[in-house]
Amino acid sequence: MMRPAPPWVRYAIAVAGVGLASLCIAAVRSVAHVANISLLYLLVVLWLAARYGRGPAILASALAFLAYDFFFIPPILTLTVNDPAEWLSLFALLATALVVGQATATVRERAQQAIASERLAVESQRAAEASQREALASQQRTATLYALAELIVRTPDQTQLLDALAARVVEVFASAGVRACALILPDERRQPTIAAVAPAGTPLACAFDLSDRTHAGWAAWILERGNAVGGRIGPRRNVQGSDAADASLAYYIPLRTSERRAVVGGLGITGTPEIRWLASLPPHASGESPRQVRADVAERQAQTELFGAFCTLLALALDRLALQREAIHVEALRESDQLKNALLGSVTHDLRTPLASIQAAVGSLLEPDIVWNDAERREFLDSIAVSADRLSRLVSNLLDLSRLEAGVAAPEKQWYPIGDVIAHVLDRLDLAGRTEGRRITVEVPDDLPLVPMDHAQIEQVLTNLIENALKYSPAESGIAIQARALSDPAALEVRVRDQGIGIPAHELGAIFDKFYRVQHIELPWAPRRPPIGTGLGLAICAAIVRAHGGRIWAESTPGVGSTFAFTLPMTEAAPQGQLPELATALDETTSDEPAPVGAADDLAHDTAHDTTPAAPTAKGASA
Amino acid sequence: MTDALQPAGANATGARVLVIDDEPEIQRAIRTRLSADFGVEGALTGHEGMELVARWHPDVVILDLSLPDLDGIEVVRQLRGWTQVPIIVLSVRADDSDKVTALELGADDYLTKPFSSKELMARVRVALRHATPATAGARPEARFETDGLVLDFERRRVSRDGTEIHLTPTEYAVLKYLATHAGKVITRRTLLQAVWGPEYVSEDHYLHVFIGQLRRKIEPDPTRPRYLLTEAGIGYRLRDPA
Repeated sequence: MMRPAPPWVRYAIAVAGVGLASLCIAAVRSVAHVANISLLYLLVVLWLAARYGRGPAILASALAFLAYDFFFIPPILTLTVNDPAEWLSLFALLATALVVGQATATVRERAQQAIASERLAVESQRAAEASQREALASQQRTATLYALAELIVRTPDQTQLLDALAARVVEVFASAGVRACALILPDERRQPTIAAVAPAGTPLACAFDLSDRTHAGWAAWILERGNAVGGRIGPRRNVQGSDAADASLAYYIPLRTSERRAVVGGLGITGTPEIRWLASLPPHASGESPRQVRADVAERQAQTELFGAFCTLLALALDRLALQREAIHVEALRESDQLKNALLGSVTHDLRTPLASIQAAVGSLLEPDIVWNDAERREFLDSIAVSADRLSRLVSNLLDLSRLEAGVAAPEKQWYPIGDVIAHVLDRLDLAGRTEGRRITVEVPDDLPLVPMDHAQIEQVLTNLIENALKYSPAESGIAIQARALSDPAALEVRVRDQGIGIPAHELGAIFDKFYRVQHIELPWAPRRPPIGTGLGLAICAAIVRAHGGRIWAESTPGVGSTFAFTLPMTEAAPQGQLPELATALDETTSDEPAPVGAADDLAHDTAHDTTPAAPTAKGASA
Repeated sequence: MTDALQPAGANATGARVLVIDDEPEIQRAIRTRLSADFGVEGALTGHEGMELVARWHPDVVILDLSLPDLDGIEVVRQLRGWTQVPIIVLSVRADDSDKVTALELGADDYLTKPFSSKELMARVRVALRHATPATAGARPEARFETDGLVLDFERRRVSRDGTEIHLTPTEYAVLKYLATHAGKVITRRTLLQAVWGPEYVSEDHYLHVFIGQLRRKIEPDPTRPRYLLTEAGIGYRLRDPA
């Protein structure tokens, strides 16, 4: 259906039609007299009425009346009429033209109305369908976005959230061709890193590889420039089969919370060629015909819009994560700062005190004008010895603890008998004069197997526990050290029991904390002399035992005594077997000065080995 | 480096001790203490120390393992190339492997910093005693006795406080080896090599078990050994008769 001509065109055509008819009549008249030739005007009016409706028909009727009078009714070229009969024919023409014209116009209008109403019906039906579709789509879109928002709010764990977000992108935009995606986050130096990929572990997701120069370049581009980028990428070695085609396209889309804000991250997608619509990049030459493109354009538009909204939400989520991280970082900094301050304060005090007494004693001894008697000198020297001891212990405690905490002192485990460690620790304490006059009993079953341990570290645990027991119990009381094997789970348990003042129940948990000292201690056997300690001994014990995979705890009854206990796992079976028995005793050659082992390795050894029966049971057992 | 720190006439035994340590204050403290009983010289570097061993002929060398010019272990290796002078190595805590290496290369004993002067003097005396037979020529001993434990080498008998103890030939061999080096630290590797042979030098854990059995026979209280002492992470030492 042609568009209706504008009014002035219609009226011009009416004028032109009447003019044309007038010319035709003039032409016919010049040849012969034809009666009722004026009907030609009627034809024009009829056509106009059918074609252009009422107005042009009326105009044509009037014009035809005037033209006929002017050109063809004598006196010609005037509007006057000589013959009254001519008036009659003239008015008959006008009346006929008007009536026929109006009737035709009415018919035409009716027909037009019918067509219009039919078209209206079709159109309204289409509109209804479209709006319904749109409503459905928008409802889906809202639901999708809502689900995403809920996911963001609901998942507190950062890594989990990132993984879930990536998975959601693939899930929602699978219909738009997305097969895999990667979330890109800037690191501290604003370099892109891959925070999550989906579907995790698939070869497609592996396509996002920032060691690849193309990918790395694009990822850096979106963070730097904030524009989407991407395109065809070379087939990747690790993507094979049917997936290979899907992974040949990749796009990177910057994520920002709003158009004017900085880019908080990026989204890399790979999949079928359709995905470039999501990236809102101009299509480049591909196998698709323009007709196909036009057909799916509305659908694509919707997907792209949804994708845009999705990206904004992702950006919000990433933004929130960044803020959270920053907050945690600041909090951690603050805490470690506080810790350092507390540590520094405590350590400074603990270091200064013994140093001050050493300096005071030494300064007094070196005083040139005073002659001290032996008892006085002894007093000063004792004070120096005690303080130096304390300093030495504090320094090694601090070193141990910092090494343990830095993780550089990971236990070097070897099969070792706990009895040897206990004996060695007690020997050293004896040598240092710390056990003088104390009753210390040791119970270690003969058949206790070897236990994997870092003997130097366990030695320290035992030293600290035994020194604690000595310190917090009266001189005449006993200390019992017991070792035994536990089953299920197999473990060695060592207990150090004293008959000292005990520890209040509410402090039992805290005593293994760094710098924690049991509050308000007064030792009944040494009033007004609070025990000296660094507050680090038990913290070191706990760190060592935990590093061994064991447990440490304290039990106590105030006034009766405390027991400190720890376990070391024995999940591995101890090596079975023994060294071979020599057939005869060692002969005199061994009493010679032994050659250094390194040198002896090269020599044919001359010792009892030659008489050893070839029964290396130990060898066999350890192999 | 003989200087005013050495009091005249204090050299009671006539023994000479050389201290090789690059810390002047440690030098001063050790030498002052030792000079009450021995003749003392000091060296601040490994090269200076080795030169003094050659020139001055000390009876004991105290050697710090961390020296500025060359590794203390290297000093032990070079000294053992031409002299059997007893060497006591000094080291800081937590480097068992250095101590073990030094001992296996022929060092006689070790001391861990910080140590008391009591410990220092005890070790030097042990080293001097141990050095005497070697320097004075072989003097085969018929028996060994320490604090009630007696080894009769001629009759291959072991007794404690007069009660005979029955040992297997291997147990006897181990005890005899330790007794002939009494007071000296014997690394597990050295003991395994000497008694069982070179293919057994890594069987540390069986040696632990073996020593445990031996202790139950000779020790009155095996949980607190009196004779067969453990040097944690290093080896064993049989109690010195003194």
